[in-house]
Amino acid sequence: MSRAANGTPGMKIGEPLQVLDPGSYAVACSVVDGCLTCGDVAVEVKVLEVDGFDAVCEDPHGQVGRVGIDLVLPVEVGSRLLVHAGVAITRLKESE
Amino acid sequence: MKYVDEFRDAELARALGVQIAALTEPGRHYKIMEVCGGHTHTIYKHGIEAHLPENVELVHGPGCPVCVIPMGRVDDGIAIARNPEVIFTCFGDMMRVPGGNGSFLDAKADGADIRFVYSPLDALKMAVANPDRQVVFYAIGFETTAPSTALTLMRAKAEGITNFSVMCNHVTIVPPLKALLDSPDLRLDAFIGPGHVSTVVGARPYEFICEDYNTPIVVAGFEPLDLLQSILMIMQQLNEGRAEVENQYGRVVPFEGNLRALEVLQEVFELRPYFEWRGLGFISQSALKLSEAYADFDAELRYATPGVRVADPKACQCGEVLKGVIKPYECKVFGTACTPETPIGTCMVSSEGACAAYYNFGRFAKSAARADA
Repeated sequence: MSRAANGTPGMKIGEPLQVLDPGSYAVACSVVDGCLTCGDVAVEVKVLEVDGFDAVCEDPHGQVGRVGIDLVLPVEVGSRLLVHAGVAITRLKESE
Repeated sequence: MKYVDEFRDAELARALGVQIAALTEPGRHYKIMEVCGGHTHTIYKHGIEAHLPENVELVHGPGCPVCVIPMGRVDDGIAIARNPEVIFTCFGDMMRVPGGNGSFLDAKADGADIRFVYSPLDALKMAVANPDRQVVFYAIGFETTAPSTALTLMRAKAEGITNFSVMCNHVTIVPPLKALLDSPDLRLDAFIGPGHVSTVVGARPYEFICEDYNTPIVVAGFEPLDLLQSILMIMQQLNEGRAEVENQYGRVVPFEGNLRALEVLQEVFELRPYFEWRGLGFISQSALKLSEAYADFDAELRYATPGVRVADPKACQCGEVLKGVIKPYECKVFGTACTPETPIGTCMVSSEGACAAYYNFGRFAKSAARADA
């Protein structure tokens, strides 16, 4: 569960957002409900591919992009991470 | 619970409201501060206060990093951004924060190369792509955001990138809480603790609140039922005479935090002796600067900045709002001279600032209440 799941008026979860540069770290930070840095908004993503200290991840809106995973290693395909400003700050348990 | 709807179940919310009401003592007024701007946003957006008895008051705290940035630090950033060789980067919500001489957006319109990024890692990529320019990242945020800056600096150092630097404005969560507890004009019964900051720092740093101030704190998640359950846990503690750190957000927050992230913060940053907080004044050891090992990446050492303290506009009462002394709608310029489109104060800039959250959601409930009366 994360703030990303909150959705936004006029937008449904699963509905694709604008396509961003897939090499950008913006994917997990395109917070649509609230600002990026304030409070401590973070979003949940699912790991699609591990690439060294980065992972290609998908957010609840289906956007794909890169996330720095140095702080939450080891990470596997399918892991769920909580991401803030392009960097994963915790690994979520399967049941969450 | 697994799906977001379950965390917003109206029946469960009503049931929690009844349980909270049953635990309140008639004639006693309870003041509970939600520290985090994310919680403020949820409270207004979902009408949490409608489920609470009248004598349980939620007070908004200083946990919005954009809101606590003093105007002088914006001016310092703009001074760096005006260097022709500089590509100045910051988070999008910093762009409209007013300094003494306009905002980053104004400076951009005036010709400065200011770009917003979602991650400092993107600013670093920009440095690699523009070897003939200097890329500066304006870092703000609590311990949730500081790891991303730290990680970016570690990568910059490891990769030998020299045209990248950081103007560090990161702040820490515990010192302002202590300042609030020591403040004579605010009496709080309990805290709703920040959720994702605690993912990094854990829940242990809050133990002094219970031990030294006999005040409960419950770390909470961001969904409506998370907040209501946290308030229920607080009321249970108050009723039983307990003052403990409890973790309602256990599905995300480990009690010990993220030890690797804490190590990284320790390596890259060191505490500033003092730092100015908007509304709270100077608080000792409440902010971070780059450590000696990363001094080469410190934008404040690379570029001259005015470093001048700028007083807030007289009409603006962000200070009192950030300390929870007044509600947003009690500010003289709220919703008139100060709106999200033309903010005077920082609390109206960020969508999670108390004033903006109240302007966007809460004022409708207030209008309805007035109409009913």
